[in-house]
Amino acid sequence: MDPTHFVHINTGSPEPIYRQLIEQVKRRVAAGQLKAGDEIPSVRELAQALAVHPMTISKAYSLLESDGVLERRRGLSMVVAAQHQRAQSTADRVELLRPTLQKAAAEARQLELPKAQTLQLFKTILDEQAP
Amino acid sequence: MTHFPHTDKPTAELNGISLSYPKGAAVLNGLDWQLLPGQVVGLLGRNGAGKTTLLETLLGLREPQAGTVTLFGQDALTLDDATRARVGYVPQQNDLFEAFTPAQLLAYFRSFYPRWNEAKVDGLLSRWDIARDKPIRKLSGGQKQRLSIIRALAHEPDLLVLDEPVASLDPAGRRDFLRELVGEVLDRGATVVFSTHILSDLERVAFNLAFLSGGRVALQAPLDELLEQVRAFTGTVTEMATLMTRLGAQPLKRTALEAGRERVLARLPAQATVPAGVAVDRVNLDDLFAELT
Repeated sequence: MDPTHFVHINTGSPEPIYRQLIEQVKRRVAAGQLKAGDEIPSVRELAQALAVHPMTISKAYSLLESDGVLERRRGLSMVVAAQHQRAQSTADRVELLRPTLQKAAAEARQLELPKAQTLQLFKTILDEQAP
Repeated sequence: MTHFPHTDKPTAELNGISLSYPKGAAVLNGLDWQLLPGQVVGLLGRNGAGKTTLLETLLGLREPQAGTVTLFGQDALTLDDATRARVGYVPQQNDLFEAFTPAQLLAYFRSFYPRWNEAKVDGLLSRWDIARDKPIRKLSGGQKQRLSIIRALAHEPDLLVLDEPVASLDPAGRRDFLRELVGEVLDRGATVVFSTHILSDLERVAFNLAFLSGGRVALQAPLDELLEQVRAFTGTVTEMATLMTRLGAQPLKRTALEAGRERVLARLPAQATVPAGVAVDRVNLDDLFAELT
């Protein structure tokens, strides 16, 4: 797998880089873009591709391993864990969006926005072309 | 999995460092600091906070009025040649000999070091587009800076000290430089300290941050932990006092607001839960820099 396009990171975010890596890998596994047995870039490859400290990468990989998303194959490479044969159900994938939407909902309440307009905005954003 | 040569022995240890310039106020004031093998530490501080002075003191280039600096277990002021050869330094103002060509300069420095990675030097000179046989004074600012970096990496140092190393580099050049730093860590577990105002660079490679303020390293911690544990709270002074106690939080910075209110930047214990209804914001590296330096 080409390490330069494996994940993207945003600097300037309150979200630590290792968390960004974890969430992106989880979403790609949930969507079935990464499947059981797919090899992921080594710590070295990804650290150099992203210009990120190797400990940040190994921390993300270890947590993904303990969450059952990745597993360590003989040799040293990490692969997507065996139980992730196919994309998760729509219901499960929607659940992954819950924390982000909860945060958006909290902000909408702070702004005292009407529900209909808030939902309309989300619809509009969904219809926009991906950047 | 990558393993780092973690030993308990610090690469660099500074104890009780005080330094002031003639007729000036103290720049460093009872400063303690430790750098461990394999760490990449980003040094943050305002202009004039003393970052360059601190790095020069760390390297044994300045003698403090009080305190000790130990590098690889030796007094930094009297390092033997073998230990000095384990250190690489990119000063803020490059000190290259302008009349030399890059080839002459590197040949000159090569004679001082027991180790010299010619393949790396050749690769970087080509990749970073530096003419080997043009006088250094005719190189651009960015090219001089890159040459200074190549000189510091060539002898494969175990401690690399970089003072604003990327100020003249464009974003692509900076990314390429950061990759080299990551390589140094991967290949040898090198210890790296660098100061920069380009926070996005620090965020990528610096696993640890050190905030220089008031002549001391006021806080050193992994960036991940700070992003996860530091929060900005606002409320009345009384509410804040109660909240800090209840959370067991460590206040890092208080800013008075109008009408008896204040903003408190505080570090929470891991797993602390902020009660509902409290005005709390997450922070990013820019916020940490603005508030803690």
